[in-house]
Amino acid sequence: MNEIIATLYNAIMEGDVTGAQNGVKAALDAGLEPGSILADGMIAAMKEVGRLFEEGDYFVPEMLIAARAMQSGLAILKPHLVSSNVKAAGKVAIGTIKGDLHDIGKNLVALMLEGAGFEIIDLGVDVAPDKFVNAITTNGVDIVAFSALLTTTMPNMKNTIEAIKKAGLRDKVKIMIGGAPVTQAYADQIGADGFASDASRAVSLAMSLV
Amino acid sequence: MNSRERVLTTLNHKEPDRVPYDMGGTVVTGIQAKAYRRLRKYLGLPEKEIVILDILQQLAQVDDDVMEHLGVDVRNVSPRSTASFKIEIKDTPDGHYHYFYDEYQVGWRMPIDGGMYYDMFDHPLSGEINAGNVERYVLPDPLDPARFAGLPAASRKVLEQEKRALVIGNISAGIFELYLWTRGFKDGYSDWAGNPDLAKKMLRKYVDLQMAYWERMFEVMEGIPIDVVQMADDLAGQNNLLISPISYRKNLKPFHKEMFDYIHSKTDAKIFFHSCGSIRTLIPDLIEIGVDILNPVQVNAARMDSSELKREYGKDICFWGGGVDTQKAFDEYHSPQEVRVDVRKRLDDFMPGGGFVFNTIHNIQGNVPPENIMAMWETLQEFGKY
Repeated sequence: MNEIIATLYNAIMEGDVTGAQNGVKAALDAGLEPGSILADGMIAAMKEVGRLFEEGDYFVPEMLIAARAMQSGLAILKPHLVSSNVKAAGKVAIGTIKGDLHDIGKNLVALMLEGAGFEIIDLGVDVAPDKFVNAITTNGVDIVAFSALLTTTMPNMKNTIEAIKKAGLRDKVKIMIGGAPVTQAYADQIGADGFASDASRAVSLAMSLV
Repeated sequence: MNSRERVLTTLNHKEPDRVPYDMGGTVVTGIQAKAYRRLRKYLGLPEKEIVILDILQQLAQVDDDVMEHLGVDVRNVSPRSTASFKIEIKDTPDGHYHYFYDEYQVGWRMPIDGGMYYDMFDHPLSGEINAGNVERYVLPDPLDPARFAGLPAASRKVLEQEKRALVIGNISAGIFELYLWTRGFKDGYSDWAGNPDLAKKMLRKYVDLQMAYWERMFEVMEGIPIDVVQMADDLAGQNNLLISPISYRKNLKPFHKEMFDYIHSKTDAKIFFHSCGSIRTLIPDLIEIGVDILNPVQVNAARMDSSELKREYGKDICFWGGGVDTQKAFDEYHSPQEVRVDVRKRLDDFMPGGGFVFNTIHNIQGNVPPENIMAMWETLQEFGKY
């Protein structure tokens, strides 16, 4: 790996915001392609962060500061990505389902998806089905992702999928779900396209769906 | 053998006459109001107004008739709020939520339509803050006499009249929990890795708050034996710890040790420590710093197999909880027979040699049918004898 890219990569791994910002600047100054800086220096780092989290070596705090460092670097890189026509991996509308107010898990997924190069539209918590539908029609999303922490709110996942179907949008998007009580079996039962058990696996799933 | 003797015997790692039973002895071993109402009806007990003991989790106060009927062996005595603090529950202008702010200026809300619990929506120390913000942040008064009013009399009644074991509750959630609740989860966890000095500054404040409370509590309770002191800090999730073991040992464990050392120096009470989830890696650390009782013993979390835990740690720590797998064998999607099978396994695993107080893994939730609660209880009656 190019030394400048390696410095950027390591800064993200360590959650070093200043290091990430300087790393992006140094890479741009060295004339490296914005798309490569993103892919090799930043997305690759977040992928490794995700792997370490799945392995049980990185924990929530380490993941959060890595994502924060990546986001701070990305803020500097973004205009260059736009001008060199680097596209996002996909567009995801994400939210916690109606009746459910829990968001740290959903936020972690959003951060990791951003870390993988996705554009995120975060709808927040307690999101009604029609708000998901609006997000699809307004933003042209590729994936709709929703989360529930309570067994009592899970039925709203089914309702949301029904609302998307009723709006004639089911074949326009992929649907992925997650959350503590959610299972693959439940995802299959309600007709979601996928289920992920943690933020890192959510990235792998999203990549496979676009 | 009376209830108190039963509990103390098992907490001293000896086998009593039967496994002691807890329902409502702490705010993490209780029952949600909806489930409690249905249970009362199922038991043919008179309908009465349910007192909500814990507003966040909507836990019911377990009445004397239920405690008698089910042979509950412990009773909780907990501090009250300060005299000046009154919870004011309001509704949001959009008509969607009930909400209130607590003594720590944390905002909590619950959906009006079908809400089960209050969840946080506002944190007083979230966002861009520094040490100055932490210093200026005003905590509630741990020494307000209103907190302690009536506690000695209530405690004596538990010990001398009821002859149940006495559990004294804490002034607040655990110090790390309080840190996350006031800082916010995202900022709190981020700082844990990215700005631990600021995190420790906040923890210090919360340790001082709790220590001041316990100091006064022990003064107020002079001459009255406390059997169990309830402490907590959620350190784990379903599959792993929430924070790294290294960070726990470096930045949080010393604070826990300071508090537990103090409590052990002032009372013969056993320290009950609650942490949900896959806490296995830190059990030796907790034993080392003086935790006597582990709760809730979430057997369905990673590396928390009940027989392994008993084998490896049973002589050094008591298990309070672990009685039925509340995730996989207890709610309305499971039959009483499934409940019985699960409870039987937990009894087989945890009973030998004492060191076990029976409770569900965490509070009984609103959707648990009374048939399942009683299937659990009946299995305990039948197979919980030594």
